[in-house]
Amino acid sequence: MALEEFQKLVVIAFGAFFFIMLLPALLELKKPGDAGPRRIEDCSVLLEEQLRIASLERTEDMKFDQALVSKVSQIIAALPNLET
Amino acid sequence: MITFILEILFIFLSAVIFVYLVRHFVFTLTALRSSWRRKKLNSINSVLCPYFVSIVIPARNEERVIGRLLQRINELTYPKERVEIIAVDDGSSDGTGTIMENFAKTDSRLKVIHQNQEESGRGKASALNAALRHVNGEIVVCFDADYYPQRDILERLLNGFSDPEVGVVQGRVTVLNEPKNIVTRLVALERIGGYRVDQYARQILKLIPQFGGTVGAVRRSLLDHIGGWDESALAEDTDLTFRVYLAGYKVRYINEAECYEEAVESWHAYWRQRRRWAEGHMETAFKHTASVLKNRKLTLREKVDGVLLLNVYFMPILVLFSWIIGFSLFFLGPPQWISAFWFFIPLSFYSFVGNFAPFFEVGIGTYLDGRSRASWLMPLLLFTFLYNVAICTKAFADLCLSKAFGRKQRGWFKTIHFGDGKSYIIN
Repeated sequence: MALEEFQKLVVIAFGAFFFIMLLPALLELKKPGDAGPRRIEDCSVLLEEQLRIASLERTEDMKFDQALVSKVSQIIAALPNLET
Repeated sequence: MITFILEILFIFLSAVIFVYLVRHFVFTLTALRSSWRRKKLNSINSVLCPYFVSIVIPARNEERVIGRLLQRINELTYPKERVEIIAVDDGSSDGTGTIMENFAKTDSRLKVIHQNQEESGRGKASALNAALRHVNGEIVVCFDADYYPQRDILERLLNGFSDPEVGVVQGRVTVLNEPKNIVTRLVALERIGGYRVDQYARQILKLIPQFGGTVGAVRRSLLDHIGGWDESALAEDTDLTFRVYLAGYKVRYINEAECYEEAVESWHAYWRQRRRWAEGHMETAFKHTASVLKNRKLTLREKVDGVLLLNVYFMPILVLFSWIIGFSLFFLGPPQWISAFWFFIPLSFYSFVGNFAPFFEVGIGTYLDGRSRASWLMPLLLFTFLYNVAICTKAFADLCLSKAFGRKQRGWFKTIHFGDGKSYIIN
């Protein structure tokens, strides 16, 4: 292989290498996919989240058990009307 | 003969690069392994508020950001009766002092110190010492004016003082104005590598985590013991780190104590800031390297890490020399160890893309932060490293000149802050 051809190949290889290396960076610069800056963890955010979960749990505790309610209503419906 | 000397120099420089390469590999693997183990344990162990805390804010011409910080400090969750705030207006020519005074009218905990023309302009260390004279707290917490801490940062930082050997606690810095432009995005990557991996690993490995001068808490008694901040030091934070260790105390890094900062937004500002860091760090290296090696209170691993940390800003210059020598040797004729030359090419490539928060650390840092897309920008760190080679060489030349022809007066090397970073977060 002639020296000139070898030099050409080296230049092309280096060019391709740098292009491939920089390609992700160029893509990210053109259309940023990163959601930065990083959201730092705040205790108030954590506390709010914990309170939200706790309140949800409490609300669920206070809800009537629908299965039980329907059973009770069926029993009541089946009972004889004491007024008549 | 010249070739022989160059060969020896080249091997020496490659060996030094190799040492730093191993160091950063170890840090990266340590941070990665440790994060896997502790994934579920990153909450505050307990909320303890036993200390009376003095928050110290040195500021010079910071009217765009100082109000935001003072407002945020008012929102901190730490018991208000256990906090005092000392804001130093270091001869500002803008509205910084007025904003501080307006806040002081509504918050009795805030004490504003106005430095007059004679006292002002001597640098951050001087302003911090001025604040120190008014401090009543057991713990001194420092914030730069452009910072924006998480609400419970004091609880998180003060947890670090449960060990009586700990004299300083350092928190993590996160870039607030990251999406602004390419400079802020690259600085953010460096910060991720530098804090999430480098500082964190040094803490895990019981080496020397560095006090960064801000988002840090220091025992008041320790500051009194070591004589406060050194006003002649350009990198007063690094200087304090080593004086703390030489006094027999330790610095602790807490990754969960986080604070936003506004990063520099132009290449010119980047140059000014990094040149100051580099010159200050080199100066500290000259001052403390021998003391670190001789000190009997330091463990062997602390001594090794201390010397490597102190001299880290010489690395880009050594890399530059290794390139020059490598090229010279190549054209002087192939030496006998030509195969070794090829072996060292990967090392040279590493140092090419390295920077101060090197390649591996940045990559793993973005992974640990769950921001793999941000790592797409990592190849661009190649250019910041090249920029840093020029910066460090200039800083070293300036340092040599100032040593040879007399010391220059220390002053504020201001980074201009624009105060629009908060628009990037919803809080």
